[in-house]
Amino acid sequence: MERAVSARVKQTKLKRFLVRHRDALIATAILGPMIFWWMIVSGFPTLFGFVLGFFDWVGIQAHPKFIWFDNYVRFFHDPLYYNALLRSIWMGALVSGVTLLAGFGAALLMNMPLFGKGIYRSVWYIPAVTSTVATTQIFNIFLDPTNGVINNILKSMGHQPIIWQFSVPWSVFWIVVYSVWKGVGGAALIWLAGLQSVDVTLYEAAEIDGANRRQKLRYVTIPGLKPIATYIVITSLIGAIQIYEQVMFITGGGPYSQTEVLVFRIYRDAFWDFNLGMAGTSSLIMAVIVFVATAAYYRRTTKSDRSDTIPIKMKGRK
Amino acid sequence: MASVSVQTKSVRKLKVGHIAAHLVLGGFGLVLFYPLIFMILSGFFTSDEFQTTVLGILPIPKEPTLWNYRILFYGSTDTSVRVYILNSLFRTLYSTFFAVLTSFLAGYAFARLKFKGKDGLFLSLLATQMIPGTIALIPTYLQYARWPYAGGNDIFTGGTGLLDTWWVYLLGGPAINIMGMFLVKQSLEKVPYELDEAAKMDGAGTLRVIFQVLLPLQLPIMAFIAITTALGTWNDFITPFFYTNSDHLQTLPSAITRLTSAAKGGYSSPNYPIIITLGLGTTLPALLIFFFFQKYIVQGLANTGIKG
Repeated sequence: MERAVSARVKQTKLKRFLVRHRDALIATAILGPMIFWWMIVSGFPTLFGFVLGFFDWVGIQAHPKFIWFDNYVRFFHDPLYYNALLRSIWMGALVSGVTLLAGFGAALLMNMPLFGKGIYRSVWYIPAVTSTVATTQIFNIFLDPTNGVINNILKSMGHQPIIWQFSVPWSVFWIVVYSVWKGVGGAALIWLAGLQSVDVTLYEAAEIDGANRRQKLRYVTIPGLKPIATYIVITSLIGAIQIYEQVMFITGGGPYSQTEVLVFRIYRDAFWDFNLGMAGTSSLIMAVIVFVATAAYYRRTTKSDRSDTIPIKMKGRK
Repeated sequence: MASVSVQTKSVRKLKVGHIAAHLVLGGFGLVLFYPLIFMILSGFFTSDEFQTTVLGILPIPKEPTLWNYRILFYGSTDTSVRVYILNSLFRTLYSTFFAVLTSFLAGYAFARLKFKGKDGLFLSLLATQMIPGTIALIPTYLQYARWPYAGGNDIFTGGTGLLDTWWVYLLGGPAINIMGMFLVKQSLEKVPYELDEAAKMDGAGTLRVIFQVLLPLQLPIMAFIAITTALGTWNDFITPFFYTNSDHLQTLPSAITRLTSAAKGGYSSPNYPIIITLGLGTTLPALLIFFFFQKYIVQGLANTGIKG
């Protein structure tokens, strides 16, 4: 008798608990396993990578040695590293600058009531969906020193063939060309979305006030694009600073490590030279730069409604 | 009279502007498309002919063959192309399935459920997005190598761990997809809560509300997540290239990577016809995905939460 009563009381207590914390329980059931697994396959390696930067560890088998900030001291004294960082920054700025300007021009044209707009949009975006490995190989065929397409054309015009791979400016030039080729379509699409979100009534008002086309662009379009401009500039900079696949496949960092960028340096350290400590250090410095840029972006956008902040997507996170 | 002339002038100006725009967009569009044309044409060469031909702007083979394209579908003696394709397909479908599932469920939890610490958890998940993925590459390698009791390991060391096994591809999927979660949360918050209430009044359970009321409304954004994940995984060469070694685990992009001079080192001349063949095999499905679903890509890019 007593037992039955207490059981019933327990049951009702459990029921009450389930009903009261229903949302929290469902959320735990959904998010718990996902976040737990994410911690294992993504969170832990990231933290571990930060920690690695404070160790001297060459090779997989030797024991890591804790050396405080020696790796960081080396990073800022060894031209191999700080030049790679500087190169990442200026090359990234160059790539994203050219891509954004070209994309903006294309978006202005695509915004006109043209016949076959959709076709242009797709064709411009196509390079973005292709595989980097495959298309860099096509560029390598173009740049081949002996039977490259560009050199064959130069020869037929009576010029000397150029060995692109032996010249730093040319190598940088082709890396930038490839990056712009791949990125310009996406930039144009995002600019286009921004252009179409500008209030039409503002244009009508400008027209009534007698503004010509250039003044409309200067006083209506460009101010109206401010929020999206912040987003696209920051994201494309963050993306361009982390460029490395182009460098890896088109120049291989050559000639004499003169086109190495920092992320490519990380790969070399980690997978070719087994210098895991330096790779961790470089990763952390890269992460700090990206983090600061992103945080600055979010700080700027907190003034407006937080839910309108456009999330920033990172390369290399699946 | 004057007004008429003004009108014709403006019409003509518009036309000239249009023609110029067509020229610029079409001309540069051709330039952008040109490498792909080059690729498709190169596929008709035999490997001997490709090495002996002096390549011009457009590579036109003297004796076009379908040999390369046949390799793409039936494989050859030195490359098991069919295995690469199946691996690529498996990886793509697996990652896409999990990306869609996790981002929808997590987005639902953050948009519709009330629980303690929701905002803090959400913001900290978003913050992890700011850390570049490169940093995790080496630790991930070590993690796979030292996975307890796998591949001849005792608790931490000894064997090869999970490197060079299917686990390399299977592990990453079930984790949360933060970007997708954010997008789903954004668009679910635009759906009025009264809709859920109404469905519940009509006697629908929680699961039915999720899958029969809310999910159909999220299909465009889910399509965007699915496409971007699918393209990203399909073109990803890093995971197989760094964490696997055996031939039966390679995907198309990583198979190409192994043939390039970047992997072989030095200035060795790579076997371009095979590379081009595999490259076509990588690029064409991506283009097909793009052409079928481009509406969603454009929508997704346009609706990333931008307010004018």
